[in-house]
Amino acid sequence: MKKIISLLLLITINTMVVIGGPGDKILPYPITQTKMANGLNVVTVPYDSPGLAAFYIIMRVGSRDEVDAGRTGFAHFFEHMMFRGTEKYSKEAYSNALKAIGASANANTWLDRTVYHMTGNASMLDKMFELEADRFMNLKYSVQDFKTEAGAVKGEYTKNSASPYEQLDEKMNDVAFTAHTYKHTTMGFFNDVVDMPNQYDFSLQFFKNFYRPEYATILVVGDVNSEAVNKLAEKYFGMWQTGNYASKIPVEPAQTETRYAHVKVPNFPPVVSLNYKSPAFDDSKIDMPALDLLNTILFSEKSELYNQLVIEEQKIRNIGGGAYNTRDPYLSMISASLVDEKDMQYVKDVIVKAIEKSKTTLVDAATLEQAKMRMKYSFAMGMDSPTNIAEALAGYIWVTGDAESINRSYEQYEKVSPQDLMNAANKYYVSTGLTIGTISGADNCPIK
Amino acid sequence: MKKIIAILFLFIFGLQVKAADVVELKLPKSDLVVVKLMFKNGSICDPVGKEGLTSLTASVIEGGGTSKMTSSQIKDLIYPWAASYYASVDKQVTVFTFEVHKDHLDKFYPVIIDLLISPRFADDDFSRIKSNQLNYVSEVIHSSSDEEYSKKYLENFLFRGTNMAHLVDGTAEGVNSITLSDVKSHYKNFFGTNNLTIGIAGNYTDAFLSKLKTDLGGLAKAEMPIPAPGIGKRPNGIQVEIVSKENALGSAIFAGFPMDLTRANDDFAALMIANSWLGEHRKSYSRLYQKIREQRSMNYGDYTYVEWYNNGGSNMLPRPGYPRLSNYFSIWLRPVQTAKGLKGQYSELKDIEVGHAHYAIRMALREMSNMIGNGMNKEDFELTKTFLRSYMKLYAQTPEQQLGYLLDSKFYGRKDWLKEADALLANLTVEQVNAAMKKYWQTNNMFIAIVTDKSEAVPLARSLRDNLVSPMSYSNTLKGVMTNEILTEDKEVEKFPMKVTSVVIIDDATTFKK
Repeated sequence: MKKIISLLLLITINTMVVIGGPGDKILPYPITQTKMANGLNVVTVPYDSPGLAAFYIIMRVGSRDEVDAGRTGFAHFFEHMMFRGTEKYSKEAYSNALKAIGASANANTWLDRTVYHMTGNASMLDKMFELEADRFMNLKYSVQDFKTEAGAVKGEYTKNSASPYEQLDEKMNDVAFTAHTYKHTTMGFFNDVVDMPNQYDFSLQFFKNFYRPEYATILVVGDVNSEAVNKLAEKYFGMWQTGNYASKIPVEPAQTETRYAHVKVPNFPPVVSLNYKSPAFDDSKIDMPALDLLNTILFSEKSELYNQLVIEEQKIRNIGGGAYNTRDPYLSMISASLVDEKDMQYVKDVIVKAIEKSKTTLVDAATLEQAKMRMKYSFAMGMDSPTNIAEALAGYIWVTGDAESINRSYEQYEKVSPQDLMNAANKYYVSTGLTIGTISGADNCPIK
Repeated sequence: MKKIIAILFLFIFGLQVKAADVVELKLPKSDLVVVKLMFKNGSICDPVGKEGLTSLTASVIEGGGTSKMTSSQIKDLIYPWAASYYASVDKQVTVFTFEVHKDHLDKFYPVIIDLLISPRFADDDFSRIKSNQLNYVSEVIHSSSDEEYSKKYLENFLFRGTNMAHLVDGTAEGVNSITLSDVKSHYKNFFGTNNLTIGIAGNYTDAFLSKLKTDLGGLAKAEMPIPAPGIGKRPNGIQVEIVSKENALGSAIFAGFPMDLTRANDDFAALMIANSWLGEHRKSYSRLYQKIREQRSMNYGDYTYVEWYNNGGSNMLPRPGYPRLSNYFSIWLRPVQTAKGLKGQYSELKDIEVGHAHYAIRMALREMSNMIGNGMNKEDFELTKTFLRSYMKLYAQTPEQQLGYLLDSKFYGRKDWLKEADALLANLTVEQVNAAMKKYWQTNNMFIAIVTDKSEAVPLARSLRDNLVSPMSYSNTLKGVMTNEILTEDKEVEKFPMKVTSVVIIDDATTFKK
């Protein structure tokens, strides 16, 4: 059961939602944020975790920036290359230095960002800064290393591709977008992945364009203070040269009719997913908080829909729904895993009926308040380690470049009214913005 | 008279139920309270023919509500608090975890108690939850992640014929045959105070803990003795089973042999150092990762383990809740390319018959064999020790993780494994590590599970069975940049002797059936 849920979560992860008491900031810890002369943003959040600190570098570059044909997946590939050393620290020396720190260090890439992180001994912060500054400014790798690393990315694609959910995700994005770079997943199209070893020169340009201070935020959470962090940032990153590149991201034309993406997999639990175009993240607007609360009310385990389809009729195994916080308009995804393929149309119709009802019937105030309260406690309970706090903050930093966005966003959630929920449903949950994704044993999408 | 007293004495003691053990961690600054109830049962308690029963029993307790409230009513109640609870089952334990903000602890409390003391066990909940579990073992495990599939299949292979062999979630036939009445009996037989350890962490009072202990005393004594975990078979040479399936893009490999060593034994720390150097999970500085992924571009990663590592595809750090007394060493090679895949990608490889699996296995065995033979040098030993002593502090960052590790410690007869391991690591010498490797590790006898594409299974089986040379096949682009050192080493690796004694191809449709 847990496996089924976690599989569903993979494609329906809700955005981190935050609510606090009136007048309070949602994050109970003070944020110190400093913009350095070269444009580098430095954020410190002290937290009671004796001897432990989470050190994050958030780069506002992701697969959204892959505007060139044949280069899908490149931001993620480049993230791999960042571990291939510099003149001062060869890849072996870098590796050994990391090992000596004893940190949990890694990186990951998504639509709008690449995040490099290490959580470890707070007394090693100076070394962490030194190592990171060196590779962010002076990365140097050989053609051999470049070509070899490309194979690891292909290996990553290979392991992921075993999952039908991954296959659907790739296909669904390809259909839902026609011009915008959200058309391809962060992993990229397989042909582009296979071609990666041939893109060495492009990689040098990529580093020059994006690995610049104006794209970066350094975030340190834990047993630290802002004075020390700012000093280290100045010492190690002060000479990082500002760049001048900005990606020209194609604007997605308005969708005019429902689209379909289907993956044929026999002997696998059938999936119906409804993917509606949703707004870009903007912490000054009510749209995303309203959509998010609406999703919680419509699709959580407490919802009428869950009770009907999962508990009473036992037509589906699970359902989830959520919109992502993204820089450009993306998708609000509702996904259900079914018991029987023959119910796919029925399940889709029941979900749409619940959505239609939310367009004409106001949610009662008590239900909305409960949803807000849940988000507040969910957030509060999750803030229990430097890593978890850094992860929550990073999500707001990569969409806005500003750590305080987390608190502003909370203020918006507080303001959401039943009418806002209805407005969001009418504005975003429309058939002309819908892409239907399905997994089943059928050759083609079996539902309308 | 004496006889009467003796009988009475026996009677009283016979009725007395061993009180549950308690592990506690007070964190007065935290806003959270975490309760973990660990039962020493696990899938080894599944009756033959009812494989999956412990897991299903735990899921029905968790997901089926109480005698006073349906699961929907509980969800309604706890929804605004964002309180959560879940069950996790492994081979030797079942753990129920409850997490709640301290503001709502008192209101949440009856749910915790009633779920365990008076579970609802309703027909409709049972059928819903059983259907999900059956679906997992009959469909999802086959088609979601080939690498997870290979890990689970190896356990089936290595422990075959014992109570450790089947998936924790069971077999298709086993789950299918389970009735609600089986679940009720299993609950009585294996979920009692005498095999329960209560764990609590966070911001709670002594009075709360006292009440929790008293109320959980309401659980009956488990009626059946807990069986001993089966010990893995000793492999005779290299024994391979290849699961052949449709449309696999790669070959997923998991290999291992039984090892008579767990965290309960101090030698374990020595092997942790050796293991970290050879194949620390998700770490680029380990040997196998460097040889297979970093130098040769063959896959996403290559690791080794001295104990079960749950859900390694997602977890960067090891999770608590999977303590086992029957242990094995393992090697995990993430999917490597098949011949079909390579032919499709590179015209220059159009004539190859076998993909990278045979070569990758040889490389892993050769590296391990060299390591056992040569030992670690002092420098690598010191660096790895420094790393582990710092890295292990990251295993338990949240109250839930801290409590989980303490419960696991108790399972192994320790108090606080993470602290004790640190002390053991601090006192180790390179000589002790090298001696431990020689004592517990070898590369001649091993079980290997491979999940791969139908097109790869037969040629790969032939290559392994006949001990054929397995040259590494690079694309021209890659070959052009490989150093002489690497190409020379390839020549050695491709003929590394493996004493393969059996290779069997298994049809995907037949696995985890019974």
